[in-house]
Amino acid sequence: MKERSKAYQARIDKALATPKLQQALHQFGDAYLVSREKAFAGLDFEALRREIGVMKDDVRNNHARYMQQFIDNAQAAGATVYQADTAEDANRYIAELAVKQGVKLTVKSKSMASEETHLNKALEAANIRPLETDLGEWILQLSGQRPSHMVMPAIHMFKEEVAYLFSKETGQQEPADIAHLVEVARQQLRQGYLDADMGISGANLAIAETGGIALVTNEGNARLATTLPKTHVALIGIDKLVPTLEDAAKVIRVLPKNATGQALTSYVTWIRGAVPCGDGEKDLHIVLLDNGRSRLAADENCCETSRCIRCGACANVCPVYQSVGGHVFGHIYIGAVGIILTAFFHGFDNAAEIVKACIGCRSCVAVCPANIDLEGIILSLRETIADKEGIGGGKSLVFRKVMRNRKLFHGLLRAASVLQKPVTRGERTIRHLPLFFSPLTEWRTLPAIADKPLRDIWPKQRLNAPAKKVALFGGCANDFLYPELGTDLIEVMNHLNVEVDYPLEQNCCGVPALYSGDKETATELAKQNIDAMLKDNPEAVLTTCPTCTMALQRDFIECLKDDPSWKAKAERLAEITVDAAGYIVNQLEAADQFENLPLAQKVTYHDSCHLKRGAGVWREPRQLIETSGHELVEMDHADRCCGFGGSYSLTGHPEIAKQILGDKLQDIEKTGADCVAMDCPGCMMQLRGGLEKNESKVQVAHTVELLAAGLRAAKAKQS
Amino acid sequence: MDLYNQFCVAAETSGAVLVDCKGPAEAVGYIVKHSDGGVLVPSSESFKRVDLANQLQKAGATLLEVNRSQAAEAVSGVTSACFAIADTGTLVLESTPEDVRLASTLPTRHFVLLDRSKIVADGLAAVDSLRRMHQRDMRNYIAYITGPSRTADIERVLTIGVHGPKQLHILLLDDWSSDLLEM
Repeated sequence: MKERSKAYQARIDKALATPKLQQALHQFGDAYLVSREKAFAGLDFEALRREIGVMKDDVRNNHARYMQQFIDNAQAAGATVYQADTAEDANRYIAELAVKQGVKLTVKSKSMASEETHLNKALEAANIRPLETDLGEWILQLSGQRPSHMVMPAIHMFKEEVAYLFSKETGQQEPADIAHLVEVARQQLRQGYLDADMGISGANLAIAETGGIALVTNEGNARLATTLPKTHVALIGIDKLVPTLEDAAKVIRVLPKNATGQALTSYVTWIRGAVPCGDGEKDLHIVLLDNGRSRLAADENCCETSRCIRCGACANVCPVYQSVGGHVFGHIYIGAVGIILTAFFHGFDNAAEIVKACIGCRSCVAVCPANIDLEGIILSLRETIADKEGIGGGKSLVFRKVMRNRKLFHGLLRAASVLQKPVTRGERTIRHLPLFFSPLTEWRTLPAIADKPLRDIWPKQRLNAPAKKVALFGGCANDFLYPELGTDLIEVMNHLNVEVDYPLEQNCCGVPALYSGDKETATELAKQNIDAMLKDNPEAVLTTCPTCTMALQRDFIECLKDDPSWKAKAERLAEITVDAAGYIVNQLEAADQFENLPLAQKVTYHDSCHLKRGAGVWREPRQLIETSGHELVEMDHADRCCGFGGSYSLTGHPEIAKQILGDKLQDIEKTGADCVAMDCPGCMMQLRGGLEKNESKVQVAHTVELLAAGLRAAKAKQS
Repeated sequence: MDLYNQFCVAAETSGAVLVDCKGPAEAVGYIVKHSDGGVLVPSSESFKRVDLANQLQKAGATLLEVNRSQAAEAVSGVTSACFAIADTGTLVLESTPEDVRLASTLPTRHFVLLDRSKIVADGLAAVDSLRRMHQRDMRNYIAYITGPSRTADIERVLTIGVHGPKQLHILLLDDWSSDLLEM
């Protein structure tokens, strides 16, 4: 194992052994969702974020022009503008300026860009004292740590630790009372503003129309740091550029609401040019930082990231972040966008571990105020890093040599079904694995491979005049782990007079390969599946696994986008692919065909990530469950990831997956439901495994299984 | 809800104290009553019209010179808002002259006089005046102020008054000023 990987694993272990951290991040995550919803009440978030996305894309496409406009206007207003290509370049300029001006002390307001460049180190090397004045940043400066959140940098620390640090600073015992500690910071830092010769800030926006900048802050330190010292240095990433004041207003309308659920921060400060300062005027230096931003903007797969307005919401809602915090799930920039920014600002080496830590649940995509497909971009980065570093010998061999050859792959699965007998003892689940596999079943059971896969037991259907003929894309789990889910689907569809075919040439959807960075195998599998599924020209292709759904609806097109004839076929398949619940409710409009079936129980519903945030389906299964007579009780965080994530929970990050599963199981148990329903075999594997290990009474079922069981019971009653 | 009421609700939610004043004299009385130390009164067009500094002094306020050393000792700063933004309860202060900034950043209490008629709907509606300020002056320091200074940096607990004013008092007046660009 690489040194880098070892150090990363050690950080994970340490974070997971800090339950207070998880508790803090969970509490924040919950409170955030409530206040965010309130802050956006009456506003159309989707429309707002589309608008920001379009505006920022325009800036990216015309960057040189807007930047020149900004620079011209800033200079006309008396600012000195410096364009820094790299972090070192920016640091050198600022340190040299400070030395030239004889600066001893600088007061800093919060600037992620200065964290990015490690400006404090550069200043200290030049014998200049940088004093952080943002409360969180000051705490971190005193403790020698780096931020673990972009907006709340010291979110991982507790008041007792702060009291200890402050006591060392003041030389007296400061009680761990938050109001008191805030007052200590006020008193301690106040003199700094008056003594400092230079104030250093970041900026949330650089406005081309005016040549001014805007700072969005709460504490008031930025106003002091930009007012009192003679010199003001604003260090600004070049991606903060917007064309007009209206555009700035649109970003400000969304930024605090999405960052912390605040309607607006206490202060928005618009500064243009060399404003009055004491008896003279301010010496304003604007340092425009590139440091990888141009490369990011020019990158075909990742350029959307240039839209980011740095609200930090992608971390707030991330189950991985909530489990391990920003010191694991991030470098300087944290969370989903942090992975991407790290790759471009701090190099692929610093991003290589965290790019694998994303579980792919898309909760970040749902809240991104700039409409960035963070998960899609992280996937493409994974591919880039896999190309650079390889994806591990064993894995790569399985993908290339085995999965691309369907007969070999399925042959091996059949063989495994026989070989597993000593472990399963004939049961459907594996409770313990021997030897070095044992950690895999420590915290959840695993499903055994079925004796006979779905493809071998596919029955002949006896519908006289079927209204529709559709095909099922089973996916590996439905086919080899849960074949009964497929036969249940037939029962449900036949009840609606729909005939279901199972094309035998279908193979794995390719997601395991794609998510590991092996696009070549994923592309080969996409072609095999397109041919197999379109062969008999079905009216619809049904899926029972939403990850497969996303593969068929999205990934196949992406893999084949450079090959026009294949792309057209991929688009055709995407068009007719639909999950089972969505098909019944939206296309057949046949939910009423399941009215008041027997076997009613108390059911809670778990939203699978790729169904809700990929396919946009979440009302439909609930409608079917309620229509069929069950009592539906909502759990807390119904749409939070269960921690499965395919190979994520098996080999990638099982310890984080276990943590996320633990949260989900608690939410399920709290409802008092008899059964938790879902529409994903992966989630079924994870939740059934966890509930069985806990010896819980809660049953796990696919919505299709619930419907089929109801239909069978109704038939039994009639006869 | 009309803009005025919307502003009042949002400003109170942000932690500001709203004070209805029948006229400048009432505002003066309120400021004096709530200032137990030095008061900073930067120059402003609207203040000049009623000679507010003089009125404050007559009513018993200890006025300080608005410079850095005095400002650091002051307990109160008094300013006048150009206009306000209804949906977020925000005050807009043309703060390019440094005395306005000293009076609104350093003291623990910030009193802002606002004409009830100078309220726009939201941040986008504010852009028109914001742009005109940029057109009028070549250099600008314009402040949007919403409630008192705040932080949640320790354990995400909202705490009021970290580096800026701990209290924001908004004194609401009629016939005080009608120009959205005037302080």
